[in-house]
Amino acid sequence: MRRNYLHLWLLLSAALVAVIALSAFSPVTIGSYELRDSGIAQTLSPQKNLPTEFSANSKTSEASENPSNPTPPAPDPDYSPENKTILFIGDSMLDGLYPRLAAYARHNGHTLYAVIWYSSTSEIWGRSGKLKHYIGRLNPDYVFICLGANELFVRDIAAKRGRYVSTLISEIGNIPYLWIGPPNWRPDTGINSLIASNTAAGSFFLSDGMSFERGKDGAHPTRQSAAEWMDSIIRWMPANSAHPIRFDLPPQRYDRAHRVFVHTPDDK
Amino acid sequence: MISDIIHRLGHFLAYSPGEPMLFSSGTFWALFLIFIPIYSLLHGRRLQMCAFVVAFSLYFYYKSSGLFVGLLAATSLLDWSLSRIMASSTSASVRKCCLGVSLGCSLGILGYFKYANFFLWNINALVAGNFQPLDLILPVGISFYTFQSVSYIVDVYKCRVTPTRTWLEYAFFLSFFPALVAGPIVRADYFLPQIERPRHATTREMWLGLWLIIVGVVKKAVIADYIAQYNDLIFESPTGYSGFETLMGVIGYTMQIYCDFSGYSDMAIGLAMIMGFRLARNFDFPYKSRNLTEFWHRWHISLSSWLRDYVYIPLGGNRRGTARTYVNNFATMLVGGLWHGAAWRFVFWGAMHGAGLAVHKATGPLLGRAGDSWPVKSLSWLLTMSFVAALWVFFRADSFSDASAIIGHIFADFDPAYIVPFASARMLWLILMVFIIISHCLPSRFWRRTALRFIHAPWIIKLIVFLTVVQLVIELRTESVAPFIYFQF
Repeated sequence: MRRNYLHLWLLLSAALVAVIALSAFSPVTIGSYELRDSGIAQTLSPQKNLPTEFSANSKTSEASENPSNPTPPAPDPDYSPENKTILFIGDSMLDGLYPRLAAYARHNGHTLYAVIWYSSTSEIWGRSGKLKHYIGRLNPDYVFICLGANELFVRDIAAKRGRYVSTLISEIGNIPYLWIGPPNWRPDTGINSLIASNTAAGSFFLSDGMSFERGKDGAHPTRQSAAEWMDSIIRWMPANSAHPIRFDLPPQRYDRAHRVFVHTPDDK
Repeated sequence: MISDIIHRLGHFLAYSPGEPMLFSSGTFWALFLIFIPIYSLLHGRRLQMCAFVVAFSLYFYYKSSGLFVGLLAATSLLDWSLSRIMASSTSASVRKCCLGVSLGCSLGILGYFKYANFFLWNINALVAGNFQPLDLILPVGISFYTFQSVSYIVDVYKCRVTPTRTWLEYAFFLSFFPALVAGPIVRADYFLPQIERPRHATTREMWLGLWLIIVGVVKKAVIADYIAQYNDLIFESPTGYSGFETLMGVIGYTMQIYCDFSGYSDMAIGLAMIMGFRLARNFDFPYKSRNLTEFWHRWHISLSSWLRDYVYIPLGGNRRGTARTYVNNFATMLVGGLWHGAAWRFVFWGAMHGAGLAVHKATGPLLGRAGDSWPVKSLSWLLTMSFVAALWVFFRADSFSDASAIIGHIFADFDPAYIVPFASARMLWLILMVFIIISHCLPSRFWRRTALRFIHAPWIIKLIVFLTVVQLVIELRTESVAPFIYFQF
């Protein structure tokens, strides 16, 4: 090989080796910053069976009931599905979900607060104490969570994120809640089963297995698709949720939440 | 274990619909690592080198467009055969016939795949019929290689270019993988001599090529893909955000399309340079332009020069009086608009640019009297950029009504109260936008010097720079890579 080509080839090869090494030894931190894993080591290593507490294969436009907590508990006689103050927290998936939920909320006399924390994970929320803060501040009587999309490919997920998922559940306390699972675009490494095993019966909506029309990033459902996703959740709730809410179909497609709080990836 | 490896390798090498092989993807670089040593070893063996590059290019196209690779090969074979007949014939009618057949086939195939449904929809609307749209998939990059094929056959007909002796050389020209799917549009008179006398890149060219690739990756995979996430929200929900946020989305898309397409062009030029081939510059800081004429001298240069040489000049150019010049300009831009997509909003986009060019030409003497002071320059720049950005809305929006809604919403719901919350929520988006604007404002010599510093830097520094960019891509990437915007054309 000519010398200059050899130098280029060596550079590219060294870069490839470095990326594989970083991936193999992930998580790698520089100071307090954790480098994101390229996932290449996982791709190259032989496929291990992913945690399969429940199937994620059915490609239907409707969500399937989560078999891990299939039976909702008997309804609380004091529970009312009317006039709720709803807190909806989560990652960037809320951008697509909350305008549709806001339309339902306004039409049915509920008050919706949305807290979007871009690029957030259960770990970020669990460490921050922000859920507790917002619950104290807004005093919601229903909590929606949509988290997990940024943790689809974390290895040893149960060891790494288990305590944060249970922290979030404990911060919610006795408030009725529904955790909306991430809209998988590839099989996850166990985040769905982790959430399912930590949430109460009828409090987890499995989004994996639904079909979505994705935006250009290939991950986020388009606005239209996200609205249909929210519609599916709403349709699922009466029969499956531990605490259904009155959600009659609104005349308008989207609306604004009563208030939206936004956090950036740099927030602590 | 072995069967698992074979299965994965097969999956890795096979065509995956909807997953074109991008220059910023790991798949491409894995294959390029294999490509480089073989290409290097073929130095001095022109025929083998051509065969190897053509094979790699066809495979590259197969990975992006599947069995349409057969269409590409067949088109090249037909064009080349007709060009040979044309060159060997002295009969004007035979030559014309060959030209007609070649243009008919190339443009007919493009027309069928790209415009058949557009035509059907319009007929449907006119006669209130009930035609069903055809189930057509647009072959990736067909608009680019069709224009190359047209330029080649016209140049051969006009004796501006000698046809290649072998099909392999022509296939090399037409399918050259760095420029195959999204340009720059390569011209035969510029490229064929390079195939006849191929040479390997010098060390300086090699590192300059790598530098261009790095710049392209930053533009495409770091900046464009990241800022697209916000811009897409705005365009998917034309009135769902405040006027200020919508305005930011429009400005964001203006920057996104530049970074996306010029980034791709940089990578293509860099890859070609590493192989010892020169591709013409495709972008020259277009958003520095102070009028539309200048903008079109700086934006997608390979397309605008192609349109000038094969549409505008054959229509008469500026040789038939002022009024006809404007009409020719307008018609050329209409073709340019339609080239970008089979929809009326693309036609509108082209028509408005054509009208803008005509207005600029007509008012040139008047504008010249305004002088060249800073306020005049600033105002010219602001007007030009506002016009360009507003027209990008029609380019990107899903429909005319969406585009109108977006532009109307900017004025109808503009509230400065959103500025601070926007800045706090979209800090990285803003930082990247500021970075693009600053990089656009820096003088060209700054970029030349930076490139020279990289070229002369020690190998280990180059590796660190490359690795840093790769990690940046990983940090900011969306899980699935967004295709280049210009792939669809």
